[in-house]
Amino acid sequence: MEVVEKKQNGICILGLLGRLDSNTSPEFEKKIFEVIEDGTKSVIVDFESLDYISSAGLRVLLKATKELKRSDGKIVLCSMKEYIKEVFEIAGFVSLFPIVSSVGDAVEEF
Amino acid sequence: MIGDRVSLELKNSLSELSTLRKSLEQFGEALGLSSKILFEISLSMEELFSNIISYGYADDAVHWIKVAISHEDEMLIIRLEDDGIPFDPLKAEEPDCECPIEQRKIGNLGIHLTKKFMDDMVYERQGNRNILTVKKKITGT
Repeated sequence: MEVVEKKQNGICILGLLGRLDSNTSPEFEKKIFEVIEDGTKSVIVDFESLDYISSAGLRVLLKATKELKRSDGKIVLCSMKEYIKEVFEIAGFVSLFPIVSSVGDAVEEF
Repeated sequence: MIGDRVSLELKNSLSELSTLRKSLEQFGEALGLSSKILFEISLSMEELFSNIISYGYADDAVHWIKVAISHEDEMLIIRLEDDGIPFDPLKAEEPDCECPIEQRKIGNLGIHLTKKFMDDMVYERQGNRNILTVKKKITGT
């Protein structure tokens, strides 16, 4: 798994590549919490190149969004494959995050 | 049909997940499963396997978890056997997927996903072993 970080107008875009599972989630957790601790309040997680997610990945996103909410920040998710979106639906996570179809649409959410 | 049955013995370590995944992928590809079905199976196996290693053992010893993958008619069958503490995932409390974010907990979400993705799950305790048999319909793939 790889996390690619980009900055755009004060928004941090984290692009995920590969698999977000029990083994790789700690790496993503470290990265997203670094970004939050740096004071970023607007985070986009780009799922375009993500092929797999399990509850370990959902756990990190839940923890991060709770943390950001405390400082009035927000996470927007985008470009999810259909079968990954289904995981979010079954987990009831679609009510916790705005999920949009592209990075461009995600930027509009802020 | 080639590869009618695959048996693995995996250590109680997260590093074994890649071995489990590769075996599932090989088996699935031989059966011509769609990537969606294979994803749902892989996710369910990760959830069940990681649950066993996270909650099954009170000691630091190495334990072996047996995994057998087979298929019968239009069902893929996976049998997981471990010597951890008795744990019936079917009796695990369902997570509340409706409550607001502040109260949202992640506990049992993996099992919740697994129950949704699998078509049948049967738990048995035999002696000091947990045996979980899960089935997934693989028709129309």
